[in-house]
Amino acid sequence: MTTEPAALIHRFNAAQRLIHWAVGISFTVLFLTGLAFSYPSLFWLTNLLGGGPTARALHPWVGLVFSISMAATFSMWMREMSLDATDWHWLRAIRAYAQHQTADVPPAGKYNGGQKLFFWAQTVLGVVLLISGLALWFPNTVANVVPTASTLLASMRLVHYAATLAGGLLLTMHVYLGLFAFPGTARGMIDGKVTRAWATMHHSAWEPATDATRVPKDDDRR
Amino acid sequence: MSTLSIKRISATASPAPGIRSTPEYAKLVDISSCIGCKGCEVACKEWNDLKVEPTANFGSYQSHKDLSAHTWLLMRFDEVEMSGRVQWLIKKDACLHCEDPGCLSACPAPGAIVQYENGIVDINHEHCIGCQFCVTGCPFDIPRFDKETKKVYKCNMCVDRVEAGLEPACVKTCPTHAISWGSKEDMLSLAEHKVDLLKDRGFENPVTYNPAGVGGTHMMYVVPHGNHLADYRLPANPTASPLPLTGLGVLKRIGAYLLGVGVLSSLVHYLTIGPQAAEDLHPHDH
Ligand code: HEM
Ligand code: SF4
Ligand code: SF4
Repeated sequence: MTTEPAALIHRFNAAQRLIHWAVGISFTVLFLTGLAFSYPSLFWLTNLLGGGPTARALHPWVGLVFSISMAATFSMWMREMSLDATDWHWLRAIRAYAQHQTADVPPAGKYNGGQKLFFWAQTVLGVVLLISGLALWFPNTVANVVPTASTLLASMRLVHYAATLAGGLLLTMHVYLGLFAFPGTARGMIDGKVTRAWATMHHSAWEPATDATRVPKDDDRR
Repeated sequence: MSTLSIKRISATASPAPGIRSTPEYAKLVDISSCIGCKGCEVACKEWNDLKVEPTANFGSYQSHKDLSAHTWLLMRFDEVEMSGRVQWLIKKDACLHCEDPGCLSACPAPGAIVQYENGIVDINHEHCIGCQFCVTGCPFDIPRFDKETKKVYKCNMCVDRVEAGLEPACVKTCPTHAISWGSKEDMLSLAEHKVDLLKDRGFENPVTYNPAGVGGTHMMYVVPHGNHLADYRLPANPTASPLPLTGLGVLKRIGAYLLGVGVLSSLVHYLTIGPQAAEDLHPHDH
């Protein structure tokens, strides 16, 4: 394995990247149109999907895309995301990590404890959003089955909003960390590669398959 | 009706545009005088030019099983047992035009539901997005969704007639004067009078149905057996703000704040602690 810091390592394959962006784009669209339905001053965001009625008609279908891609995300990462002692250790140093005091942060594997918790949180929220969203999509079906449908459906609005809020807050953090706080991270989700230096800094206990490493050509350097 | 008369408007943070002060109207339905002729049902269809839906005999005098996007007024015929006797209850089911309309406060689309100064609650279909939240928000289960247009419909109290100084079509057609029309004040005192008459006739619990939980309504009922509201399908304590929706309102305020703080603290982190590139830590000399 090369120790050349600028050497590139494969982090995510094409399938992982496609699935991730299906989740990322669908969630972002859902989040923004969801905000539009929640805040009158943001109603103009429905224009992203063609205006009020069209956005309302499309939102649940985008939700379906999100749910399916979340299911794919879950099955592809479920095993790698189980937390062990090293992760809890890492999580205790999360403050140092946020302040870039790299020396005080215990080594992490391919994913650190924070990423794993994020994965599980989004998985649970995804299920909650799907269930409450289906109820709001088919209120008449709910009303035919449940006697006090109004209270239940109003509660589903509350639950759907709460899960959106939690997911949106996590997303803000996720996007900030991935795109802004740690340059070099986003590339992993774009062409699938990260530098050896990046891997050493963030995931020093990660041992990528040896064939994943190669010395870069000039045009690979960024 | 003119925007000058809009008192309340859905999903709009700025004040409603109404500056007129028209009198508040109300319709009073005296259940004890109704003979169940369904003339009002027909008048509603005719004036509002609503599609005639096929009827079927399901063992009742009732025309349809339920209200629909094309049936804004339904005479409900219920046979119930009351103090050991069978009672045939006939009730006009339609929008009550609440003073505090649960449909309007549940609606997320700006301007899709409005309330006029005169008390009429109306749906503006060009702004309705078809989410059906109003159906859930209405304590009386009134609005109905149309699958084809993807909009919600309900009685508009013949707003076009009222604007022209006429009474609603159902009021005009009623042969027994079971439905009265006038200022809310007049209708309230008429209701009191009718309740007194029922008491004189030996009814023990006649009441005026004008529930406080929704701030009163602009269609009120005189109910002969006021201790059996549920049998008339009238909720005893309807509310315009059920607990989950009140909770949602509170959470939305907190949520707006939290999302703002989330974005701001990312910005603050970026500007104070700043980004960190791995390459900066490990210069090329390794
Ligand atoms: C739309 C904006 C988004 C951007 C820019 C973004 C960016 C990224 C990046 C750069 C990574 C790679 C991190 C690494 O290499 O360690 C990543 C991973 C991941 N993303 Fe996203 N993402 C977005 C949305 C989402 C959404 C909406 C979800 C789930 C609801 C999600 C779930 C994940 C998960 C579970 C991982 C792997 C673990 C982790 O890095 O936390 N992403 N994302
Ligand atoms: S009865 Fe229902 S639909 Fe009519 S104004 Fe009241 S809440 Fe709205
Ligand atoms: S269905 Fe239309 S009127 Fe009813 S709450 Fe939704 S947008 Fe408002």
